[in-house]
Parts: sequence; structure tokens; C-alpha cells
Amino acid sequence: MSIKLEKVVATYYENLEEGKILGRKCPKCGSVEFPPVYACNACGSYETEWYEISGKAKLHSIVMPAPLSSKPEYKNLGKYAYGEVELEEGSRLNAVVRGINKKKRNELAGKLPVNCHASIFQRENGFKTVVFDLDEE
Amino acid sequence: MNQTKLNRYSRSVSIIGVGCTPFMYTVDNPETNGLTEGELFGYAALKAMEDAGVNPQDVDYYFHGEASPLNGSNYLTPNIQIGNWFGMKGKGSIHHSEACCTGYLAIEQAVNAVASGKYNCVLTGCVEFGDSVPAPFGENDTIETPKHPYKRDKMSMDRFLKTTSWLYDRTYTRALMAGQELIYDDAAEWYVRTRGITAEQMNDTLNHMCINNRRNASVNPLALEKKTYESLAEEAGMSLDEYMNSAYNPKMGDFLRAGGVELKCDGAAAAIVCATEMIPEIAKNLKHKPIEVLGIGSAACEATTPHFEVRATEEAVRQVYELTGLGGDDLDLFYANDFIITSHLVSAEIAGYLPYGEGWKYICDGRTAWDGDKPINTNGGRTSFGHAHAASGLADMYECCKQLWGECGEHQVKVSPKTAMLRGYGGAQNVAAIVIRRNDG
Repeated sequence: MSIKLEKVVATYYENLEEGKILGRKCPKCGSVEFPPVYACNACGSYETEWYEISGKAKLHSIVMPAPLSSKPEYKNLGKYAYGEVELEEGSRLNAVVRGINKKKRNELAGKLPVNCHASIFQRENGFKTVVFDLDEE
Repeated sequence: MNQTKLNRYSRSVSIIGVGCTPFMYTVDNPETNGLTEGELFGYAALKAMEDAGVNPQDVDYYFHGEASPLNGSNYLTPNIQIGNWFGMKGKGSIHHSEACCTGYLAIEQAVNAVASGKYNCVLTGCVEFGDSVPAPFGENDTIETPKHPYKRDKMSMDRFLKTTSWLYDRTYTRALMAGQELIYDDAAEWYVRTRGITAEQMNDTLNHMCINNRRNASVNPLALEKKTYESLAEEAGMSLDEYMNSAYNPKMGDFLRAGGVELKCDGAAAAIVCATEMIPEIAKNLKHKPIEVLGIGSAACEATTPHFEVRATEEAVRQVYELTGLGGDDLDLFYANDFIITSHLVSAEIAGYLPYGEGWKYICDGRTAWDGDKPINTNGGRTSFGHAHAASGLADMYECCKQLWGECGEHQVKVSPKTAMLRGYGGAQNVAAIVIRRNDG
């Protein structure tokens, strides 16, 4: 491998259109970067390789949307919250998790982390993104 | 997360003078409507020079910070446009822009320049028009179109919020929809979950941070909003607790209420930073003790990073304590950039200035107000002193230095401060942990 000038962002979004969620895996330490970037933030390797994530994840925290922290276009999400999500591969990110209202948040508060999984969601501006859904209990 | 080990500066560096404008809504007042970038920055710069007892010719270079120069001032190179306002025509300068963390990193950059030996004495200043934009700015105007040489129009909250999306990564973060929204409540959720307090206790704590900040601002002549919440409650015919939980202070976030959000405004602040060994030569008339910058921890977490404020603050604080050998018990004063007021609690606890899990009680008991035993944001913080985005960090440094010099008059703290930390935060999200100490040598 060598350091490449590569369209990582465009490739990521093109794969979402085809139903694939890609991260980048470090060939040296095995860490997965999600969303995908060039280098490994765990060991400092210059290079990472494309890797399709399993989509399995855990939700570690829950913050409910409110007037300051929501936008009209988010209404297409249905019931949702924000939180810290840990992918099965180890990456952690801030993400939207659907299927949570205030009552559900209260139910889940003492049970965190809970299982969730990645889904592909159509944004209003003609591109797809990744959100998470709670696993069925 | 990646970690960095700091090394000692190549030579000691001190802050010897500070200047600050009132934080204000310039266009709302006929006396201030029409003030320009050069006038605000120039005032703060000259006041800092006067405070240090130096002349513009004694200053080798200047740093200029502004969070949003194109939007707020219609400038790409704001440092170039204003250098001749404070007698430094022809001197070298650089502009930097790190959103709400700009004023703290203004100290970082100035100290590095002097510690390296390249310069002996520099000016570092910041200016922001957070409440107004160059005029005319109508519905059909863009940031390219203002034509008048000095008139400004009020900046609507709508327009301000549109520009805040510029703080977040366009490729992933904005699309993922979470990082930019978690700024308001993530730290509160984290504190509640990790310390085991209730949502009601967090609500009380958030309210008391607002109350304490306003009490501090009420006795500070430079502050933007001086009317205490006690007075506001009395006028509304309510108890303080009723008022803070009423429609006068509505819930805007999962935890956050309106009173816990910054008051964006206009202002400027500056400091003179000098090699400690050169003070007898450069600042012969220095009227107060130098304040040495002992170290500055730095960390940054892009907004997709979970608990970005907490993680970056932990790392920045770890760095500066490792370097200095100091800890939270060594601090006499603490400043936190609290444009979301929760910052005030979480950063003071991470720094060990307030004990783990107990900080919320100190706040609710009023112990963190200016006259308490653990003062925080003695100037009133971002929710009462005001938030002129880039300038806020240097305004905190102005207040902190004045407290360390015992020059704060009516709101001089009751403790005898010598050592302080300023926790800078902003720009989704950059963190600086600055430790300074009055040099009584």
C-alpha cells in the first residue's frame, strides 16, 4: 500500500446509495475509522483500507431533541434522540438513534448501553446518511 | 484518544497589561452605534499598552483574532486593516480565527512567539461584532454586498444561527445530524449520568449558574447585562425559584434553559505579553506584578467525537497539570467559556477546582459567585458579561489579571488569588487550559 490521493468521502456516499456502510480499517492495528478518513487515529498508521461495517452497535447515552437542538427537516426521522454510539468494530461517534421518545428514554436510562443497529436514511437534499435504530427487545 | 506531552517554554513569559471594552449591543445605543473594528480593537490595544506602561514602538508584533471576519466585518485580512489605529503601522501581524476559543488561543500564540525568542514583547487582541453586521444588509444582500463605510445593522438570531453551521464538518458531521445538536445538552447528560444526580438537580444547578453569573455581572461595569435574577423575579411578582422555572426562562434544550445560553454582543479585548527577563528594559513603568503564563494545555475534538467537550477538556487539563506539577487545589480562580452554561460546572470539576461529583452543590450554594470561596467567571461569564465571540477569552484574561492584581474594586474576590486557570472552549470544539500565576518574585 501507499498513501493515495483518494476520494474517500464520495466513495462513502456512493456506497450508501448501494446499501453499503463503509468505514476504513487499519492494516496495522485493526482499528476501524467511522466515518472513513485516510489515517488511523489509534496507532498513527498513514493508511487504512475500506471495510464494510457490520452495523451492530451499542447506544451509551441519550439526549432528547429540543427547540435549540432540532431542525424542521429532522421531522422525517420520526421519534429520535441523539447519543454516543459504539460500533461493534470499536469506533464511537455521535449519532441519531430512532425509536426513542421521552418515555422510552426514561425506560432505557438504567439499562444503558443498549443494542442498536445502523440504517441508511434518505436526507432531504438528495443524499443518504447513517442513523441507528434500537434493536427489537 | 491521542495525547501530547508539553515541554517547558524556552524562557519565562508574562502578561504585563490588559485592556477591554465594555461588552455591548453597539447599534442599540446612539453613543456606540457606528463604532468600527479599528475603534474597538484600537481602544482595547491602547488600554493594554497603557496598563503595561509600554509605547506602541515597544511592541514588536501583534496577533489579531476574530471569529467570523467575513460575516461580521466584511474583511478577509482584518489584522492588516486596523494596525495603524494603535500606532503599529508597518509592524508585522497575523490574523487567527478559532471561533469562541479565539481569545484563549490568542494567549497561546502570543506566548509561543515570545517564548521562542523571536519577539520580546507582543500585543494580542481580539474583536467581534457578534450582534451586528456591516450595512446595508437587507433580504437580498449577501455577505459580499455591504457598501457603507461604518454603519451596521442588527444581526438577527436567525442569521447568526445560519452561520453557526460553518462551525461543523460539511462532509460527515452535518449529514449525521448529531454532533452539532449535542453541543447544547451533551455535557449536562454526561454529568447527570456519571455523577448520579437527578434531572431536577441538574435543572437547579443550571439555574444557579445563571444566577451566580448575573450576580457577578451586576457589579462589573464592563458587563452587558447587570440586572440580577432576584430583581427580575421581584418585578414579575415571583420567587426566584418560580421565575427561573417559568416562561421567563423557558426550556430550550433537553436540560438547558434560555438563561443558560450566551448573550451574543460586540466587544474587544487585548493583552501585552512580554519576556519576563526583558520587563525591566521594556516596561520600566510597570505598575503591577507580572503574571507568568505557566503553561497551556491544548486539545481539539471534532463534533462527531462523543462527549467532545469533556474529552478535550480532560486532555488539555492533563497536559498542563503534567507540565506544571499543579492540580485543582492550587487554583484560586477559575474561568470557563460558558456560552452553554453547563461548561462552567463540567470544566471546573474536570480541572479539580470543584470536587468530583460535588461541584453542583457548590454552585447551588452560591460558593462559586464572585464573593464565594470558589469563584468562577467573576466577570459574569458568557450569559451575563456577554459573548463577543473571539474577544471573550481575552475579556476573561482581562478580568482574571485584574483580580490577581487586586484591581477589581467593588467585585474584588474575597479569596487572595495568585494562581488561576482559564478553560477556553469553542469552534466545535477547541479547548485550551491556561494556567497563570502572579509573579511576586
